[in-house]
This record gives sequence, C-alpha cells and structure tokens, in this order.
Amino acid sequence: MAETLRRVLSTGSTAGTWEGNTVEAGPPLLLIGAPGSGKTALLFSAALEVAGEGRGPVLFLTRRPLQSLPLRKRAALDPLRLQKIRFQYPPSTGELLRLLCSAHESQGPVPSLLLLDGLEEYLAEDPGSQEVAYLAALLLDTAFHFSHRLGSNRDCGLMVALETQEEADSGDGPQLALLQRYFPAQCWLQPDASGPGEHRLRVCLEPGGLGPRAEWSVIFQADGEMTTQPTNPSFNKTLNAGGQP
Amino acid sequence: MATLPAVVEELLNEMAAAVRESARIPDEHLLSLKFIFGSSAIQALDLVDRKSITLISSPSGRCIYQVLGSSGKTYICLASCHYCSCPAFAFSVLRKSDSLLCKHLLAVYLSRVMRTCQQLSVSDKQLTEILTEKKQEA
Repeated sequence: MAETLRRVLSTGSTAGTWEGNTVEAGPPLLLIGAPGSGKTALLFSAALEVAGEGRGPVLFLTRRPLQSLPLRKRAALDPLRLQKIRFQYPPSTGELLRLLCSAHESQGPVPSLLLLDGLEEYLAEDPGSQEVAYLAALLLDTAFHFSHRLGSNRDCGLMVALETQEEADSGDGPQLALLQRYFPAQCWLQPDASGPGEHRLRVCLEPGGLGPRAEWSVIFQADGEMTTQPTNPSFNKTLNAGGQP
Repeated sequence: MATLPAVVEELLNEMAAAVRESARIPDEHLLSLKFIFGSSAIQALDLVDRKSITLISSPSGRCIYQVLGSSGKTYICLASCHYCSCPAFAFSVLRKSDSLLCKHLLAVYLSRVMRTCQQLSVSDKQLTEILTEKKQEA
C-alpha cells in the first residue's frame, strides 16, 4: 500500500494519472496522525487513485458514514470512480471482526484495495493485546485472500488509519507498538504552520525497509483542493518523537 | 512480525530443499532449529510427528491452520501472517517480545516444509465460524 500512497502524493494536485511503470500496491500501510491531520482525505485519495486504475472496486470500512466528500478535486466528482468505492460501516469491534472473518463469503468483484478509517474507534473498547493482534492479523489475512483471488501479479492493497492523541503519554503506546509489528510500512501525518484559508500537513512515508523514506508537504485549500510537494527530510527528529518505539 | 527473520527463512528453505532431495532433514538443520528456538523446537517437532497440524481450506481459496496442542485444545494459526490463538503467543510473543514464535506456529512452518499437514475441506460458512469462534476464546 505504501506504493499507492507514494503515487497519490507524487501525482498530487493534478488528480491525474501516474506515469511511473508500476501499479503495485506495496506493503500494508498504517497511516498515523493526530485529529484533523488529513487521514481520511488521504485514504479517500488512495481510493480514488485505485478506482481510476481500471482495477477492481475499493472496500472502504469506517465506523460511521463520511459527512461530506473529503476532497473536491475533479477525480472526486467522477461518478465512475465513486461508484467503485464500496462503503461499509461496522458499528462495533465485534462486527468488524465478523466482517473480516466472513470476507471470503462475499460474492461479486474482488476488491483491489481495502481501507479502514478510524481504527482507534475500534480499539477504544480496550481489547486485550491478543484481540488487537487478531484484528490486525485478520486485516492482513483478508487483503491476502483478496490478492489470492485476484490472481497473479495483482495485489489487494491495505491501508489503515489510526488516530493518535497529541500527548505523548496518552497510553496508545503498547497498542501502537503491536500494530507496527503487523504494519511495517507507516505514514506519519503532522499539522504544519498554515497560511490563511489553507491547511498544511507534513507527511512522512516510511516504507518499512523496502525503500527510502519520503516526505511531502500537503496543502488543503479552503475549497478542498489538495496539492502536494516533496520536501527535504530535515524534520525527521520532531516527527519521530511522537511514539515510535 | 509479518515476515520471519531472514535467518529463519533461510533455514526453512534449506530444510525444504533437503526434504525434496532426500525426504529427510539433516541433523545439522535440527541442531540449528534447536539453537534458535530452544525447547520450542522439540515441542514443535513433536506436534509435527503426531500429525497435529491441519490445513483447513474452503472453496473460496481462503485457508487457515489448526493445531491440536499437547493439552488437547485446538488453536488456529493464520496462513498469511504470524498469529496463533494460544496463550503463549499472547504472552511471550506479543506482550513480552521474548520469543519469535510459539511452538504451534513453528510446527505449522515445519509441517509445511516437511509436507505433513493434514488436509480438511470445509464450506465457506464453516470457515467463517472457525475464524469467528477464535475471537471469543481468546
């Protein structure tokens, strides 16, 4: 999934087509950021990116329906892309687990991308470490099964968004460390100094030993338009202070 | 976590090659196994000898491993990533991080190498039930 996100961030403002050679999804990715750091918007961008690649549908899991489309760029209004994003709203951790356990029973086209927004809401019921591990392992297993059904050379990507508290000692340390075992690739989001009428973020992608770390500055305009630009990896220390083991 | 350390991966590959060539595993590989995993290696080999590992698959193509533990309880191990439903996995692997694997997961990898998994076909619905039940037991 790290590769899909890299494409999203590299193609940035144009909402256009990726001109690289690869459409591989890359390893499962954990998207980590404080409230309002643009996690849902990035997940939705990844959904639009994959929906526009002419591959299978996108399965978007989240606890409650999105209030509005997080992006208003041209691709977001393309009904052909939107139709390929299938939303499901498991209301509890138990329901989410049931959905993942029975994913192989569902009929119809096999998803090319599995997204989960708001993992922290499912962890708020304070499951034990084994249940957290089972949830993470089942997410991987479901994407693995979808990849298997898609056949050779086609993988189902997996991207999960987790909200962390701004205080370092908020207690999400052990759960985060556990999740990081299952999601070696991580993307850290951090709000940045914003100008008037815009919302600026720093995005740091760590592909889990499979490539160089990359960083972008992402700007959301008041009209919802997203633009991205690569930045210098000079702020690593501040970004990493917030919870890496 | 999602993948084994390279040294273990390499050892398992060498063992698989030995099984293909001579249908047996050289002693030096067993010694390496014991060196890396300690007493778990013996217990895992014992599980393999007793044919305690079953690959359960459904028509959808999804599959999981079921291991019959020495106490008579069954545990499930996922085929795609490291997860076992046993208490030792929760404690030593997840919480204390002082082991790489539990004996059940090691037994799964070994029986895959030695091609001694029992096979069981179930319906898609039955596979869902097996996966869902494990959540409640854990």
